[in-house]
Amino acid sequence: MEPLLLTKREKRKIGTQFADLCLTCGTCAGGCPVTGVDGMDVRKAVRMVLLGLEQELVDSRFPWICTLCGRCEHACPMDIDLLAMLRSARGLRERSKVPGVLHKGVEMCLKTGNNVGIPKDDFLFLLDDVGAEMAEELPGFSVPIDKKGAKILLTINSKEPFGEPEDMKFWWKILYAANESWTVTSENWEGVNWGLFTGDDASMKEIVGRIVKNYKELECEYLLLPE
Amino acid sequence: MDPSIHTHLTTYHDPCNYARKSERTFGHGYYEEPRWITQQCCENFVDMYPNRANNFCCGAGGGAWASPYSEERIYYGRVKAKQIKDTGAKMLIAPCHNCRDQIMKGLRKEYDMMDLEVKYLWELVADSLIIEPREAESEGE
Repeated sequence: MEPLLLTKREKRKIGTQFADLCLTCGTCAGGCPVTGVDGMDVRKAVRMVLLGLEQELVDSRFPWICTLCGRCEHACPMDIDLLAMLRSARGLRERSKVPGVLHKGVEMCLKTGNNVGIPKDDFLFLLDDVGAEMAEELPGFSVPIDKKGAKILLTINSKEPFGEPEDMKFWWKILYAANESWTVTSENWEGVNWGLFTGDDASMKEIVGRIVKNYKELECEYLLLPE
Repeated sequence: MDPSIHTHLTTYHDPCNYARKSERTFGHGYYEEPRWITQQCCENFVDMYPNRANNFCCGAGGGAWASPYSEERIYYGRVKAKQIKDTGAKMLIAPCHNCRDQIMKGLRKEYDMMDLEVKYLWELVADSLIIEPREAESEGE
């Protein structure tokens, strides 16, 4: 490893405002279930950022094995923004090197309006189909689509229409029992935003913006994201 | 609500996002509301320890459920599994998709807890509702 010259140190890229307040007490690492995996822990991640080993942290698996649960940050006596730091390390990864399907899901959502690429016609057919099943139990039930002026806009986690469509019925039952006015949208109905996990603020904002657009156009009062 | 449907000892998992992260981001952590809802449906309730802001993550947060590091994800979850086992509960309520999948499809099998039933919070409510069917015409406007 090359020695790092303080005079030539680049401006910090990883987004943390308070890492230099770290007392190195290790409270963060002491309460974390993945301390020790890959010889890493949160306290060491903070040291890496402060010592200029930012790229090493970005290239390591640690920011992705960490679940961003925030227990470390909650316990930190110096209130250091550990989650912003670790999420920003994720965001600095080249997009093609984001582990697993997370970034592919983001790209798919930007392109098709949901993480798994369910076409609009298939989605509407499924809602109709599962809705008809629901109506056997709840007379008169149907899934309201793009209903202007509905009180509640309900987003859907794409894993349900993709693999567990029956699970959509739980909310439908509650809304029926409460005699609520609600709607699902035919496009951009995805309630999951993986940009949150990949540190991709721009995509995250675009996906949120589409939901807000639906919400405004349909003049809804409440947004329900059952995540 | 019919609390006689779910009589087994039940515990509640605080997802990071509804609990401590919501507290930090929005100034309010949703600790008590879901417990109240759960206890309307399940009178036989026990909390894990620690809980609320100090609760342990299920191990699948931050997208880990969809990440390729499944061995690490299961290792992470060992703490959650022990917390659940220590309560003796036979049902667990998880109001988050990630947490529910990790506990139901990951931890139960890996940590020998197949006798534990796992439900979403809204699934519990839907299953506990006493619904009076409405006339067909009132719905299809």
